[in-house]
Amino acid sequence: MSNIDRRTLVKGSLAAMMAGAAFSRAASAQTSEPILLGVSGPLTGPNAQYGTQWKQGFDLALDEIMAAGGINGRKLAYQFEDSQSDPRQSVAIAQKFVSDPRIVMELGDFSSPASMAASPIYQRGGLVQFGFTNSHPDFTKGGDFMWSTSVSQADEQPLLAAYAVKRLGLKKLAVLHLNTDWGRTSRDYFVKAAKEYGAEIAVTEGYIAEERDFRSTLVRVRDANPDGLILISYYSDGALIARQARQVGLKQVMCAASSVYSPKFIELGGEAVEDVHLGTRYFPQDPRPEVKKFIDGFKAKYGGQEPDAFNAYSYDAMNMAAAVVKIGGTDRRAIRDAFAKVKDVSSVIFGQATFDVESRRVKGAMNAELVVRKGQFALWDGKPT
Amino acid sequence: MSSWLDYTINGLIVGNVYALVAVGLALIFGVSRLINFAQGSIYLVGAYIGWVAVVQLHTPLPLTIIVVAVAAAIVGLIIERFGLRPLQNSVRIAPLLATIGISFVLDQLVMLTFSPNPRALPSQLPDVRFQVGGGTIGPLDLLIAGVGLTSALLLFVFLRYSKLGWAVRAASQDRDAAMQMGVDVNRVNQAVFGIAAALGGVSGMLVGMYYNQIDTAMSLQATLKGVVAEVVGGAGNVPGAVIGSLLLGLVESYGVAVFGTSYRNLFAFLLLVVVLVLRPNGLFASARQAPPEPLTGTFIAPSRPVRIPRWALAVAAAGFAVLPLFPVSFYVLQTLINAWLLGMLALSLTLVAGTIGQVSLGHAALLAIGAYTSALLSLTFNVPVGLAIIGGGLMCAALGTLLISPSFRLRGHYVSIATLAIGEIVSLVILNWESVTRGPIGISGIPPLSLFGTDLISPTSIYWFSFAVMVVLALLQGRLLTSHLGRSFRAIRDDDVAARAYGLSLNRYKSLAFIFGGFAAGISGGIAAHLYSYINHETFNTQQSILALTVVILGGLGNVVGAILGAVALVGLPEVFRIAAEYRILIYGIVLLLLVRFRPQGLLGTM
Repeated sequence: MSNIDRRTLVKGSLAAMMAGAAFSRAASAQTSEPILLGVSGPLTGPNAQYGTQWKQGFDLALDEIMAAGGINGRKLAYQFEDSQSDPRQSVAIAQKFVSDPRIVMELGDFSSPASMAASPIYQRGGLVQFGFTNSHPDFTKGGDFMWSTSVSQADEQPLLAAYAVKRLGLKKLAVLHLNTDWGRTSRDYFVKAAKEYGAEIAVTEGYIAEERDFRSTLVRVRDANPDGLILISYYSDGALIARQARQVGLKQVMCAASSVYSPKFIELGGEAVEDVHLGTRYFPQDPRPEVKKFIDGFKAKYGGQEPDAFNAYSYDAMNMAAAVVKIGGTDRRAIRDAFAKVKDVSSVIFGQATFDVESRRVKGAMNAELVVRKGQFALWDGKPT
Repeated sequence: MSSWLDYTINGLIVGNVYALVAVGLALIFGVSRLINFAQGSIYLVGAYIGWVAVVQLHTPLPLTIIVVAVAAAIVGLIIERFGLRPLQNSVRIAPLLATIGISFVLDQLVMLTFSPNPRALPSQLPDVRFQVGGGTIGPLDLLIAGVGLTSALLLFVFLRYSKLGWAVRAASQDRDAAMQMGVDVNRVNQAVFGIAAALGGVSGMLVGMYYNQIDTAMSLQATLKGVVAEVVGGAGNVPGAVIGSLLLGLVESYGVAVFGTSYRNLFAFLLLVVVLVLRPNGLFASARQAPPEPLTGTFIAPSRPVRIPRWALAVAAAGFAVLPLFPVSFYVLQTLINAWLLGMLALSLTLVAGTIGQVSLGHAALLAIGAYTSALLSLTFNVPVGLAIIGGGLMCAALGTLLISPSFRLRGHYVSIATLAIGEIVSLVILNWESVTRGPIGISGIPPLSLFGTDLISPTSIYWFSFAVMVVLALLQGRLLTSHLGRSFRAIRDDDVAARAYGLSLNRYKSLAFIFGGFAAGISGGIAAHLYSYINHETFNTQQSILALTVVILGGLGNVVGAILGAVALVGLPEVFRIAAEYRILIYGIVLLLLVRFRPQGLLGTM
């Protein structure tokens, strides 16, 4: 919302309502108007924090895109509609975007129920739904207008399993996972890979997103007698588990999925997350130029704040959107076709991102093995903890 | 064996945390017979004030506690004076809705002020750990226990031995009589709200320190668990609330021990249902105690419904029916489709809550049952979608009525709490019964709506379909209300003792109402499943239940046209306020509060 002034937005929304069914698919031809992307995501409600993080990543990417001359001289902007991650609202937003001729493609939503409920509308309306956090394996099966840069868990979890089993030498694992579609899918891929690498899975425990008390769960974990704990968590619940694990006296090695990668994980976890291992897609001292540019730019724009995984996803997504629009122009179908044509887009998560046309996802996420040392994320030096 | 000691200790520790909220809720319920849904929001406000004090102002702990208590008490007093006192002579259900509106507003204010990102709230106590069993406890555990027990004890002494305490108890037993004896009931209410809010604020801060984490989503969870604990202990009973909380913590902990983490809340809510069914006044109510709910239906006060002439309704229906022929955008149509779907749910709820007086807070579960049945019928057994939706409606009518039947013997608030619990249980069963429901992965690829072999995929055809279904259900329900059956329903609502004396079988009529209502809700859920193509256990959540109840109260309890009007308003308003971006839910909450304030009987009045 911060990229177009409110009055244009108000006029635009009214126009969209009045425009009626007889809209034209062609985007407006005036080059002074920005090319507009629709974003459907949570700005209020229980997932509001993620929507806020998206905005930070989007805004940073847009600054850079503008500084580099925009899209063939035109401005790129987005219109963020709050869905609260609620399918009832995301379907209404989908109709709104589909019938607004200025919108050339859509980004989001956050949760699977909200995103996938809107997919049929985007598919039938012929507007690309670019879900950059949608790891649900069926998301891109919604149709050829669904594309995703979300790291496939089929890619990520074997990397984490390799870190835990092969590199850290853990043999008997306890897996704690968020009991959502993401957590569940991740757990299944992790367990499969870890078993292939020769580890034993002592226990798996799924917990709901609102859970804050893990002490009893951790007693179950203790009784299963594992030599390592795997956290398939977001940063807030991951920090809670780590703290409580230390409080109930568990001293095992902990290894977490990349979604805990956030300065908040350390802030919330304090000393308890010291020595937690995590596989991530990038890290602060990463020598890759795109990572340096992202981190430096982010810190400069947001008063020294460290970016986290969700910032990186949205930053990458906006850059990808710009690359696609550069090729596809403002025609919605041409934009869909452009997803298959973009090659080697510079990306924090993938290094170079190219879509696999079959699955409409990007394969080959980067991998860095980190550990928390002295309250900082650092590249793991191979030393045991 | 030592594990069991650990599970017990952990259960007590978390029960301790629940107790802090439950005590405040019990106190308010004791005096005003009101479940204060804003208690969790005060808890949230307290946590953030604590954060400002600790992180920004660096206050020492005793001062932090005082600052938080005073600030939260002021918030409580403001809520009492401006949110609830103006409603004290209106329908009993109005203050309940007002607390829901207040909690929206407070949560949003906190979110806008502090951003929704979670924050660390460092504990100010020394970091020493004591070994107990296999785990450790820290000074904060002891402080929380101390605050919980001390406040419960102080409140007990205050209520029993002080003059103001007597006044509080007198006012809670019989408000009018207390006023006649010269008790200043408003002052009593103020005192109670101030104390409860101070306690709520301090507990939010302590729990924030305990987890070293505060975020804006903590409010609803705190309220839910607090309400469960409070009701288990006996609503309005302060020491009972503490024991209820500890019991809840233990049940959850043992549930995790035996069945695993994902079953945890299932046990919490099962405990609640069992306690309600066996001892509706809570575990610690004495047998001689007067029932805390009035015997007759003052929960829903009659009012004169607004009579809308038939021709006006016909014109309105015709207008909506031909709407898609005019150049309106698909966005408007989609928003109205949402309104029609919510309208069907509201029809269902207005029948059971308004007409027969069983205020349900778990109605989203009926949507879920209808949606899953219809989705699975069409996917697994290739049943045509039209039939599958009807199947969803029938399944919902049968299963919903069966699940809710244990709560038939309850009255007033207790029905709401029991249905809230049943709703949560359904959602948790969906999450855990993977062989049927596919668990958290959910069901994807649900076929689109279709009728007689023709797919309905354009917004226009879905609009007509859902509008027609809703109109048919509304007409049926209108017919039902004017029949003998409708009169019996209302008789049960207004005075169930008299109705029983007259020979009406309460359970049978309540079942009939739930069968009809369940069917409407199941149809709505079924249509939604085919509309969305993907559902999982989060699609139909507690917020939907609360929204449905808001719609029904806003439209006027039992009022068929009111339910539909309310659905259009509550789906439409947040969309209209989109221009306000992050502020829209705040505005929505304020509008809701104003509506409750000036039209507590609902827009069209109770039927």
